[in-house]
Amino acid sequence: MPAVQETIDQVRSIDVDQYKYGFETLIESDLAPKGLNEDIIRFISAKKEEPEWMTQWRLKAFERWKSMEEPTWARVNYPKIDFQDLHYYAAPKNQTGPKSLDEVDPELLRTYEKLGIPLREQEILAGVRKQGEPSTLDENPSDNVYSSGRVAVDAVFDSVSVVTTFKKELAKAGVIFCSISEAIREHPELVQKYLGSVVPVSDNFYATLNSAVFTDGSFVYVPKGVRCPMELSTYFRINEKNTGQFERTLIIADEGAYVSYLEGCTAPQRDENQLHAAVVELIALDDAEIKYSTVQNWYPGDSQGKGGIYNFVTKRGDCRGRNSKISWTQVETGSAITWKYPSCILRGDNSRGEFYSIAVSNGHQQIDSGTKMLHLGKNTSSRIISKGISAGNSQNTYRGQVSAHRKAANARNFTQCDSLLIGNDCGAHTVPYIEAKNATAQFEHEATTSKISEDQLFYVMQRGIPEEEAIALIVNGFVKDVIQELPMEFAVEAQKLIGISLEGSVG
Amino acid sequence: MNLHAQTTRTAAEAALIDSFAARISDLPGDAETTVHRDDALELLKAGLPTRRVEAWHYTDLRRLLSTVPAYRFESSAAQVAPLIDRAELLPVLNGAANTQRGGISGVAVSRLADRLIEGDLTSKLGVADPYDTVAAINAAFVSDGYCLEIEDGAQIDRPVEFQNVHAGGQVHSRFAVKAGAGSKATIVERQTGSEEALVSSVSHLDVAEGAEVLWIVLQEQPDTVSHLAQFTATLGKDAKLTLFIMNAGGKLVRQEVRVTADGEGSSFRLRGVNLLAGETHCDVTMVLDHLAPDTFSTETIRNIVTGKAEGVFQGQIRVARDAQKTDAKMACNTLLLSDEGSFSAKPELEIFADDVACGHGATVTEIEADHLFYLMARGIDEKTARGLLVKAFLAEVIEELEDEAVIEALEKKLDAWFVEHG
Repeated sequence: MPAVQETIDQVRSIDVDQYKYGFETLIESDLAPKGLNEDIIRFISAKKEEPEWMTQWRLKAFERWKSMEEPTWARVNYPKIDFQDLHYYAAPKNQTGPKSLDEVDPELLRTYEKLGIPLREQEILAGVRKQGEPSTLDENPSDNVYSSGRVAVDAVFDSVSVVTTFKKELAKAGVIFCSISEAIREHPELVQKYLGSVVPVSDNFYATLNSAVFTDGSFVYVPKGVRCPMELSTYFRINEKNTGQFERTLIIADEGAYVSYLEGCTAPQRDENQLHAAVVELIALDDAEIKYSTVQNWYPGDSQGKGGIYNFVTKRGDCRGRNSKISWTQVETGSAITWKYPSCILRGDNSRGEFYSIAVSNGHQQIDSGTKMLHLGKNTSSRIISKGISAGNSQNTYRGQVSAHRKAANARNFTQCDSLLIGNDCGAHTVPYIEAKNATAQFEHEATTSKISEDQLFYVMQRGIPEEEAIALIVNGFVKDVIQELPMEFAVEAQKLIGISLEGSVG
Repeated sequence: MNLHAQTTRTAAEAALIDSFAARISDLPGDAETTVHRDDALELLKAGLPTRRVEAWHYTDLRRLLSTVPAYRFESSAAQVAPLIDRAELLPVLNGAANTQRGGISGVAVSRLADRLIEGDLTSKLGVADPYDTVAAINAAFVSDGYCLEIEDGAQIDRPVEFQNVHAGGQVHSRFAVKAGAGSKATIVERQTGSEEALVSSVSHLDVAEGAEVLWIVLQEQPDTVSHLAQFTATLGKDAKLTLFIMNAGGKLVRQEVRVTADGEGSSFRLRGVNLLAGETHCDVTMVLDHLAPDTFSTETIRNIVTGKAEGVFQGQIRVARDAQKTDAKMACNTLLLSDEGSFSAKPELEIFADDVACGHGATVTEIEADHLFYLMARGIDEKTARGLLVKAFLAEVIEELEDEAVIEALEKKLDAWFVEHG
C-alpha cells in the first residue's frame, strides 16, 4: 500500500530545498593550512594547549590511521574523499576560551540566536526573557528544539567550543560540563581514564581519524548519586568552507547518576561536501543512566544532490556497571550521507540498552544507520525501534546487530523496524544481524506489525476502528510513549516527525 | 574491504587446485565448457571467501573448509531407498549418472555429462559474482547429473527423485530441470553418502508459465562431509514453486537458494527445517529477486540447534522498482537448545518499489517455559514434553506441504533424526 497523503505532505515540508539553517556567518577565522600530517596534529594540540600525553595519543592514532582503509560495506556511494584537501582546524578569530559571554563576538551570538540556541542564561535567569518566550531574533521559534525550558548549552562553532552555559549552577551539583579541550586541561585524570575506553583508538577508520584530529566537543561527568539538575546540550555548527569537523564527546555517569543530554547540529548551504566525523563515548557505571538524544539536521545538499555534509559518526555507550542503562534517541533528517550506528555494550549484569530512531531521507540523501546491542552480562535487555522514511531519490538503510555472548544468560532483545517509501526513485533497506550464542537468550526481530498482540488489536477494533487504523494507532502509540519520555526541548522538532504515520509501511 | 589479499594458500585451497590439474582431462565438456572450467578455477585461485566478504560473513569458508579429500574412484556407492515409495529414481553414484534407466512419461531425461559434451549447458556454468564460490567449485569439477525437460501441460504423478550418493572423496554433480508451461511435478533431491567427502551440487530449475513444482532437498550427509550446494530457479508468469529443504547432517553445509520471480503473478514458497547437532556448521543463504509486479513469496525457516552446532540463515529479499504489489514475508525461528551452540540470522530486505508489503521476522529463543509447564502439568515428564514441543515446532512447517505422502515421509525422517540425536 502506498503512503498516505498526510505523510507525503509532512515529509515534503522537510525536503532538502526547505532547509532553514543554510545561512553563513561572515566572521574572520583562524584556519590551519589544508592537509593532514604530524605538524597539523601538533598544531591542533598546541592550539588547545594540551599536555604532552594527549599530543602523543593523537600522534599514535594518526600513525595507525595511515595504515587503515576506508570501509566500503555500507550502502552509501560518494566520490573518494581527499583527506589532504581539508582544513583540520577552523576557529573564529580570538574566540578561544572567552571568559564571559560579553567577550564573544556579537556576530557569533547572532548566529546562535538565529538558530534559536539560548546562550544568554542571564536573560532567562534575570527574567528578562521568560522561559519558552522567543527572543526577538528568533525567526522560527516554534520549530526549535531549544526554545523552551532551561538547558545548559555547549556551543561548538567549527573547531572550538564558543561558550558553555550554566556551568556554575552545574558545578554546585558537582556536575562537570565543559568542552573536551577544557576537560583535557582541567580534569586530565578523568579524561585519561575514560577517553578511548569505549571506542578504542583503532576502532574504525573514521574513529581513528577523529582520535588524531578531534578539535572540540563536550565533556560531562556526573558524580556518584547525582541526578543532573538540568538537560545538557551541545549545539554543533559547521560554518567555514572546506573544513572537517571532528567532534569528540565523552560522558561519564558515575554510580547511581543520571544525565540527559541532547545534541543538535546544522551547517550552511554550500556546493561542496563537508566532512563531519565524530566520536561519542558514554560510560554508565553501577545503577547509572544516560539518555542521549540527537536531532541531526546537517545541510543535506540541494535537490540535485550537490553539497551536503558527510556524517561518519561512531557513537557507543558502555553499560559498564550493574543495572546501568543507556538510551539513544535520534531524529535524522539532515546530511548528504549518514553512516552512524549508536551502540550499547551491555557489560554489566541487568544492564539495559535502548535505541529509538526516526530517519527521514529526501532528495539525494543516503542513510546507512542503525545500532548494535552487544549482550555480554547476565540478564541484559535491549530494545530497538527504528522508523525509516525515504522519499525523492534517497536511499535509507537500517543496519543493526544484536548479539548474545556465551555468558549472557537471559539476554533479551526486541527489535522493530519499519520503513516507508514515498515515490518510485528511492529505496528502503533493512539489514539486521542477529547472533545468539546462549540458549537462554531471547531475540525477536520484527519488521512487520503482525507482532502486535491480538488482544490489543481486538480491544481497539471492537470500538469500531478498522484494523489498519488500529494497527497504526498501536504502533504510533508505542513510539509516542517513548518520545514522551524525552526531554521537552527535544519534543517540538521530533513531534512533527513522529506524527508521520507509517501506514503503508513496506516492511 | 571485500578483496582480501591472501599471501598463502590453505591446504584445502591448494588441494582444490591440485585436484583440478589431476581431473581436468577426464571431465566431460566441449571447448567452451573447458573455458568456463578454467575461469572458475581462476576464481578459486584468488582464494576462498572469508568472513570479510558480506555473503560469507557467518561462514568463513577459508577457515571452515579445512580439508579437501582426494577423489576415491575405487569405492562404490549404492542408491538409497526413495523418500516416497513410488518415486522414479535418477541416481548419481560417486559422481556418475546411470546410463541404463527407463523413461518417464511426459519427461525427456538426459545425462548431464552428455549435455556438457554437446555444449548446450555452458550458459549455466558461469558464476554470478566473484564470491559465487559454490557455483565456481561445481563449474570447475562437475562430472555428471541429469537434465529433465517436462513437456508443456504434463502432470507428472510420480515424484522424480535425484540421488547424489557418494562413498567418500569428491563428488560434483548438477541437475537441470525445465518445467514446461502448465506442467506439474514433484522433484526430490537427495544428498547423502558415507565416508569423508567434499560434495558440491548445483540445481537449476525453470518454471514456465502456469507450471507448478514442489522441490524437496533432503541433505543427510555424515558428519565428516563438506556439502556445498546451490539451488537456482526462475519463475515465469503465474508459475508456482515450493522449495522444501531439510538439513539433517554434514560437517560444513552451505545451502544457497537463488530465486528470480520474473514472471508476473508468480509465487515462491520456501520452507526449511534445519536439524543441527554435534559440531555441524550449517548455513542456508537465500537471495530472492522480485522483478515483476504481483509476485508473492513466503519463507519459513525453523532451526533447532543442539551440541556445539552453529546455524546460519541469511535471507535477502530484493524488490525491484517495477515489482509493485509484491507481497513477501520471511520468518526464521530458532530454538537454541544448547549453551555451546550458536545461531546467526540476517533477514535482509532491499526495496525499491513503494507499493509493496514486505516483512521479515527472526526469533532465537529456547523452549517457552509456559508451554513446558502446560504439558508437565498434565503429567508428562520434562524430557518428553520438550521433545513434543520441539517436534511440533518443526512439524508445523512440514505440514504446510499439501501432499500427504510427502508429509508422512518427511515426518518419518524427522523422527529418525530425533531417535539418533535424542
